[in-house]
Amino acid sequence: MSLAETITDERAVRGTSSPVLGMVLFVASEAMFFGALFGAYFTIYSGASSWPPKGIETNIGIPAVLTALLISSSITLQLGVAAVRRGRMDRLNRWLELTLVLGIAFLVLQAYDYSQLNFGIREGVFPSLFYVMTGLHMAHVIGGAVLLGMVYVQARTGQLSMERHEPVESAAIYWHFVDVVWIGLFSVFYLATMR
Amino acid sequence: MAITEAPQVHTPQPEPRSGLMTWLTTTDHKRIGILYFINSFTFFGVGGVLALLMRTELAQPGTQIFPPHAYNQLFTLHGTIMIFLFIFPMLNGFGNYFVPLHIGALDMAFPRINALSFWLLPVGGLTIVSGFFTKGGAAAAGWTSYVPVSLQGGTGQDLWIIGLLILGVSSLLGAINFVVTILRLRAPGMSMIRLPIFVWSVLATSLLAILAIPALTTALILQFADRHLGTAFFDPTRGGSVLLWQHLFWFFGHPEVYMLILGAWGIVSEILPVFSGKPLFGYRGVVLSFLMITALSFTVWAHHMFATGAVELPFFSITTELISIPTGVLFFNWLATLYKGRLKLDPPMLFALGFIAMFLIGGIDGVWAASPAMDFAITDTYWVVAHIHYVLFGGTVFGIMAGMYYWFPKMTGRALSAKLGQWHFWVQLIGFNLTFFPMHILGLRGMPRRIADYAPDRGWTFLNLLATIGAYLIGVSMLIFLANVIITLRRPRDAVADPWEGNTLEWFTSSPPPPHNFDVLPEIRSNRPVYDARKAQLASGGQS
Amino acid sequence: MIRNSGAPRSGRGGNLGPRVRLIAVVSALPLFLSGCALQGVTTQGQAVDTLYNTIVSLAAPVFVIVEALLIWFIFRFRKRADDDGREPPQTQGSTRVLMIFFLIPTVIVAVLFPFGERTLSEVQASPPAAVTIKVQGFQWEWTFNYVNEGFFSTGKTLVKPALMELPVGQPVHILLNSQDVIHSFFVPQFLFKRDVVPGRTNSFTFTPTQIGTFNGQCAEFCGLYHSKMTFIVKVVSQQDYDAWVTKEKKAALQANCSPQGSTVTMTAHNISWNTNCIAVKAKTPFHLVFKNEDSGIQHNFSIYDSPARKKNFFRTPRLTGPTSQTFTGPALKAGKYYFQCDVHGPAMSGVVIVK
Repeated sequence: MSLAETITDERAVRGTSSPVLGMVLFVASEAMFFGALFGAYFTIYSGASSWPPKGIETNIGIPAVLTALLISSSITLQLGVAAVRRGRMDRLNRWLELTLVLGIAFLVLQAYDYSQLNFGIREGVFPSLFYVMTGLHMAHVIGGAVLLGMVYVQARTGQLSMERHEPVESAAIYWHFVDVVWIGLFSVFYLATMR
Repeated sequence: MAITEAPQVHTPQPEPRSGLMTWLTTTDHKRIGILYFINSFTFFGVGGVLALLMRTELAQPGTQIFPPHAYNQLFTLHGTIMIFLFIFPMLNGFGNYFVPLHIGALDMAFPRINALSFWLLPVGGLTIVSGFFTKGGAAAAGWTSYVPVSLQGGTGQDLWIIGLLILGVSSLLGAINFVVTILRLRAPGMSMIRLPIFVWSVLATSLLAILAIPALTTALILQFADRHLGTAFFDPTRGGSVLLWQHLFWFFGHPEVYMLILGAWGIVSEILPVFSGKPLFGYRGVVLSFLMITALSFTVWAHHMFATGAVELPFFSITTELISIPTGVLFFNWLATLYKGRLKLDPPMLFALGFIAMFLIGGIDGVWAASPAMDFAITDTYWVVAHIHYVLFGGTVFGIMAGMYYWFPKMTGRALSAKLGQWHFWVQLIGFNLTFFPMHILGLRGMPRRIADYAPDRGWTFLNLLATIGAYLIGVSMLIFLANVIITLRRPRDAVADPWEGNTLEWFTSSPPPPHNFDVLPEIRSNRPVYDARKAQLASGGQS
Repeated sequence: MIRNSGAPRSGRGGNLGPRVRLIAVVSALPLFLSGCALQGVTTQGQAVDTLYNTIVSLAAPVFVIVEALLIWFIFRFRKRADDDGREPPQTQGSTRVLMIFFLIPTVIVAVLFPFGERTLSEVQASPPAAVTIKVQGFQWEWTFNYVNEGFFSTGKTLVKPALMELPVGQPVHILLNSQDVIHSFFVPQFLFKRDVVPGRTNSFTFTPTQIGTFNGQCAEFCGLYHSKMTFIVKVVSQQDYDAWVTKEKKAALQANCSPQGSTVTMTAHNISWNTNCIAVKAKTPFHLVFKNEDSGIQHNFSIYDSPARKKNFFRTPRLTGPTSQTFTGPALKAGKYYFQCDVHGPAMSGVVIVK
């Protein structure tokens, strides 16, 4: 055992990043959750004769905009993380506001996209997969937006600083994950089904 | 002897108060651990009564008490309760109480989340059990809830789904808490290779929970959607697949089995060295085995589906057989720990030795089921019922009881009666074998599991009667245990800090420990810090 | 049976003696198993039986050695009354010993796996079959459709198990289908089962080697009357089989009855109709009172030209019980027709006589 190990209270040092580690583990679990859904998608896909089934049409226009919105929001959030690491709290607030606006725009536009579709959830297995998977993702976006909202309140009320920025880091990890899941959904429901 | 000061506690420690409210609002990992035990043993009682009712019905051919629909609810709820509301939370209870003590921490990493993950348990459990009071009764599709038969169920099935979703959240939060606690809150000197083996088992269990439970969550959501939103995931006439449920369920379900046994391996691997007066023979071998099993358990799920005719048989057969390698290593290590030791046959040791003898049977009879051609003959028969109970009762419940007798003085300040403990052990051992050993033969004679009745001309009657008698013996053994606990709790606190000459840090603090766990910590230079401290004390002539 | 005598009787037995004996008896129990397996009555079943014994011969030594060592250690190394308080040697395993620990089970697995695979290929083989049977499983009955012979054999739920007769020594090909939930076709003495999965046709081939009557049963939990979903496999000589086939083919459409007014009542109860014969007047529509008393289960009522179902004359929608509805049946020409519930097929069928 080194001398440093005996004289340092490791709990105090390592304890600082527990919330971030907790979030990483939570996201690992969430990844398995969506992994299982994608597994279901491919199980059913591999047994289907035509995909998507006849009469089902998905339009790639709006979803492409959705993808752009979500990717931009990840970039703005990461700029916010960089700002708080350098102690630029004013910039953190701006980037968080922008991220939240992009996130809410995503939700509104996706709701509009749902209203434009020519199939309902009961009309076969493709619609089932489509609505359940994108719907569960949407719920995660809402959860992420709430999380970011809470971080924003903390930022505005001066509870965050260069030393105490784990809430921003944790929320960012979650938000990027939700972003990655969307890219997966965009690939299997729009890119892969273009005729 | 060398002692490092425990770190200063900055938050003021409130005086320990008694009363119900302090228990309802506690965030102390030790109290939450006790709550886990109370909750788990309560559900153990419920699940046990359901089992006795089943055995009573099956004692003779013909329908005596429970018509099929009632019987189907009994076995569904028995399995669900024992797996999700007794064994897993019980092991989590040990983890809650002893992981922070084992690593020399003040508490879990997230004490309030810890309280939340406990309180979700009774909520989820009561949701499931409340199915009995709905029209149509509780869930009746088995704990595996295969579609499409589960899609036909009534309100009880919905309550089952919702209850399990709640329990899943509870397990997930608990698992994250354990991993963060173990990785971040270790005392100075407590490196990963000095972790008590029980902590390793909790770490492996928690990783499994984090990565496997989501598959169950997904499966449950899809089943709920098929039942209520008109989706077609499991409807082959609309492009769905009924086997999709089984893939998702067993992707969770097989790691789940290891989540239910790893903790018991950890407990037994703590107890054997203490009561043999020797270190665990191959600490690194055991840790490596735990990690191999954790990894392999994600590759074997379809061995539950050999008879569907829809899975890659050789692949899932070889991965399943590979798991017997690290499991074999565990047995060798346990035996080698006993070799040339000085075995103190107190109740914790009796249960630990019983664990080895019984879990061996559960391990070996699994070998038949791992070979697909053989599995075609025995899957979904009572052979499988025997196998799972030799693993989860002969293994885990013996391990849990070993842990209860071992740690009871630490948790309550009072040691359980050894005399009653011996009675408990022998009645449980005999009752257990009388119940479950005949089920192997029943399985070989073709008795399918989950049948409410059987014809008298099938040659199953005598063995079923035997199993029923055994089940009542198990019931008696549990009453002895209950009596032991009640009698002991009425006695004054007289347990010393270290009644067994233990190895791990919990024995360095008082019994029961103070709210902040440790006043002082010994220097940690091996995976047996308290053993080292005892030796150092002897060497310095009894001066502390 | 074998008594495990691994525990030496040397030294002072103390009060441990009876315990050791008890553990020894318990330990020997798995050896009982080798005598308790059913012998296979098909060529495939005999292969599985051999595999079973192969695994016994590998597993029994492991079991006996481990339990014997355990008991010996408990007896030999237990703390005695005259214990001198000296510490036992604090030995820990070297890397080499741990590698040996990993090696031993690896060898056992390496030996075991090929045996299993060989038996699997024997069980999965499908030689050309003499008899092909489409098996339909449903809640809670079986129907056996003899494809080449052109007739059905079925039972009556909760009353009479379905019967499958087979000629001895001939390969039989089975195709499995389900319309409702998962079932499993299981004959214990074949040492074999295969799930009956909705949306999927499973198949397997076997050759019965022994004349006799063998019980079969659904092995995958399928709801309320799962335990009653039994059937019988009767293996007979080729002559007896041919006679049985001739008799069964004649028996189809043999029921007889005469018209009773202009209303026909069809009641489905426990997956059975109240009658296997109805009669109506020719060229006259009739009232059909359709009652489904099976809670949560779908039935319907259809009329066809014959069991081959080449032409459909009438079909009600599928209705989930309990329910009762009235329909108007078609005006039919005089003759014999076939009716069934389309959900349950020939297991719920009968004759329509139009006079």
